[in-house]
Amino acid sequence: METLQYILRKLLTGIPLLLGVTFISFLLMVYFGPDKTYELLGKSATPEQIEEVRHQLGYDRPFIARYGQYLKELATMDFGHSDSTGEPVSGLLSRTIPISLALITPGFVLGNLIAVLLALVAAYHRSSWVDRFIMGFSVVGMSISFLIAIIGFQILLSSSYGLNMFPVRGWNMSTVGNYLSYVTVPTLATVFVSLGYNTRFYRAVIVEEMTRDHVRTARAFGIPPARIFYKNILKNSMIPIITRVIFSIPLVVISGSLLIESYFGIPGVGKVTFDAITTGDQPVLKAVVGLTAVLFVLAQLLTDILYRAVDPRVTLK
Amino acid sequence: MHSRHIFRVLLVVVALQTAACGGDGPAGSSESIAGLKVYRHAMDQAPSTLDPVQASNIYANHVALNAYDTLFSYKYLARPYTLKPNLAAGFPEISEDELTYTIRIKQGVRFVDDPAFPDGKGRELVASDFVYSIKRQFDPAQLPNGTWLWIGRIVGLDAWKEAGSDYSVEVEGLRALDDYTIRIELKRPYPQLLDTFAQGYSAIVPREAVEYYGKEFASHPVGSGPFKVISYDTAKIVFERNKYYRQEPVDIWYEGYDPETQAYTGVEAIDGRSPPFIDRLEIDFIGEDAARWNSFTKGNEVQFTVLPNEQVDQVLSSKHPVTFKPEYAEKYNGYDVVEAGFVFNAFNMDHPEFGYRDDPVEDHRNKLLRCALIKAWDWQARNESFYFGLAKIYPGIIPPVVPEYDPDLSRDSVIRDVAESKRLLAEGGWTKENLPEFVYGSTSGIKTRLFFEQIRSWFKEVGYPPEKMKHKQYATFGDLSKAWRNSELPYVAKAWGLDYPDAENTLQLFYGPNGTPGSNDANYKNPQYDALYEQSAVMRSSPERTRIYRKMNRLVIDDCVAQTGLSRTRIFMWHKNVIALPDRQIVGGFFLKYVDLKTDDADQAQVN
Repeated sequence: METLQYILRKLLTGIPLLLGVTFISFLLMVYFGPDKTYELLGKSATPEQIEEVRHQLGYDRPFIARYGQYLKELATMDFGHSDSTGEPVSGLLSRTIPISLALITPGFVLGNLIAVLLALVAAYHRSSWVDRFIMGFSVVGMSISFLIAIIGFQILLSSSYGLNMFPVRGWNMSTVGNYLSYVTVPTLATVFVSLGYNTRFYRAVIVEEMTRDHVRTARAFGIPPARIFYKNILKNSMIPIITRVIFSIPLVVISGSLLIESYFGIPGVGKVTFDAITTGDQPVLKAVVGLTAVLFVLAQLLTDILYRAVDPRVTLK
Repeated sequence: MHSRHIFRVLLVVVALQTAACGGDGPAGSSESIAGLKVYRHAMDQAPSTLDPVQASNIYANHVALNAYDTLFSYKYLARPYTLKPNLAAGFPEISEDELTYTIRIKQGVRFVDDPAFPDGKGRELVASDFVYSIKRQFDPAQLPNGTWLWIGRIVGLDAWKEAGSDYSVEVEGLRALDDYTIRIELKRPYPQLLDTFAQGYSAIVPREAVEYYGKEFASHPVGSGPFKVISYDTAKIVFERNKYYRQEPVDIWYEGYDPETQAYTGVEAIDGRSPPFIDRLEIDFIGEDAARWNSFTKGNEVQFTVLPNEQVDQVLSSKHPVTFKPEYAEKYNGYDVVEAGFVFNAFNMDHPEFGYRDDPVEDHRNKLLRCALIKAWDWQARNESFYFGLAKIYPGIIPPVVPEYDPDLSRDSVIRDVAESKRLLAEGGWTKENLPEFVYGSTSGIKTRLFFEQIRSWFKEVGYPPEKMKHKQYATFGDLSKAWRNSELPYVAKAWGLDYPDAENTLQLFYGPNGTPGSNDANYKNPQYDALYEQSAVMRSSPERTRIYRKMNRLVIDDCVAQTGLSRTRIFMWHKNVIALPDRQIVGGFFLKYVDLKTDDADQAQVN
């Protein structure tokens, strides 16, 4: 009951937050954002044609009317049609978001799980060669740009210059085999890059927990190290870990991964978002901005609830 | 124990995702296709729309022309490009005054099956479909961008738009006399009219599909072209053969086949057969050169690419002429082609910093400044730095791809001369103190930044203070285009792709009445030039017209309006088992219907 009340209260307080975020993002990305008019004009135009296009796109309407329309669209989740492809925005997103999720999730999950494991090992062997090796590996991962990692893995595993084991481009989820064939290389590139950042962050969190008084006390009581790690260190480290993981989810869902999608020819939401930004496709932009704001509000709510689950001292009041 | 648990969790995640997203993947995966001839093409950019009414760029045109028909097209193999009837039954009857065109179209041509039609069965394409398709270009609700081709040209069409674009109202100069005859009446002769009917803008769409799909028509093509779209997304488009496509055996000799230069393509194999020859056409949109090259060289993915700049040294054994190293020549066919278009930089004559001034003395000083900056420009260095020395540099605005090009024109205007540049600046009294600020506008990016830095170094050498040279970057091409259209930039750096193989298409870029927001971004206004343009605009191709064109070209050079020009050379490469002569300009996507695969490759597709 307490949790339900908390959720309702948080959802209500999320409304002003949502309004604020949508207002600022609308102002920056839509009202002052890219102007689609000049993309839609031909190679030569007259002033009348410019006005006609602006009228068709609704650019000649007052700001308040356009923002009001946006809120209505957000409430009904009906953002109209893409200015470029004419496809309904809802259809566009429902087609591309699952693909991006299927593409990014394995890398996201593995990148975090492996990072936690490596961080635990590094923290346990703090200051030893194992710790230095893992941290050195992390720095390498952090230092190599995502783009280089993508090209490197593509050449190494997919191209005729390398092992030629996986497809360079495409996407097919008709069978698990096909899915694994297309998702493996993007996942390896994602994991390789994310491991560096994640491992360093998680190690720092875990090391901090390891130096707490209660951990020293537990050791003094002779509690087995594995149990101390799980119950006294890992569980207490979960709050920053949860925060990092949960707040990454909206970006994973909406932004997808532009570079991965572009290089591997995967029709996900990242490419759609990028194209919308560069061409000024405002219906798509509005949907992406609005959904990201909603997801962040929900992520915040979920984070608070999970805090309570991992740490009973946290109150939901 | 833990790792086993994690593995199980991962398996569940994979299974759930597969179930959730389920169904077939994008229908482009040739692995799943058995017994079909599948050709995988690659383009370096995705089309923004498939609706012909907005097919304004090379990418949209390339794709749309495979789903739709146009009245005319260009011969597959003939160079220079030569117009031929496509959906038209022949060339039109043209009245003596060249104001009335009567075009007959082929009978029995059908649109593809689609839910937009009753019972989902495609109906016959008739003359009124063409009339409707052109009318759409004058309907603001369709957001057309090909209007400029016919504005002020066809009797009654502009008035029809002003009256509200009511499709039930007939346009006097654009009528279907019967199901197979089109009558067009012009206000004045328009020699390029038939060329405009070879472009994606004039592709023929059925009205019921436009109304059935509404805005979604832009991603749901319903045409009568050689292929039918079966899926389309940001990564690729997949077509299948249009089973209703008319049977018209190819005569390669009529198409301009030259055995001496084209035998290596294997196109003799298609002689006497009716296209399309492939069952399935897939076009991958791959913006990243590295990814496109990896996919191309992999062997079982895309079968065509434009050679990326980064691979030029790796692949070519010589640049003049272009030849491949043996290991590439063994696996791939290829050829180099000068683009149908050009790169140029024009001074915006409406800006007093470099352009027109009311005071004749100041006006002359500005001309000296422009001429000095043209002399400071180094096309050869630009070519070597960014185009691997493969581009073609020439004076003026008539590119080599059109028949009116003058190979004997003096090259003085494209040869760097630092001393002469300094002399001109001194003659105009230009010093470091009084030189105006030079603003170079471009989209943001590393390449444009490098362009700017190169220009800055050239101009610095003739005494232009580097601190007076600014790079103004725009986030999107639309924003840059807005700046051009609103005449905000004093200097316009751009590229122009020819719409048709006639120098009129580039000469109109400097015609006074086409000033911004029209295509004359330079806002060049020279009464003599304009008079010559108007005189030649109604003339058919002839030595006299060529003479006028070249005179106009000379005026642009002499007035020091632009640093021009350079036409890039592209090197097309395709797998040896593909029978084709690829192209991406003028002929555009038309060539894809002639692509065939050698039989053993069809077998290979089955194996895959």
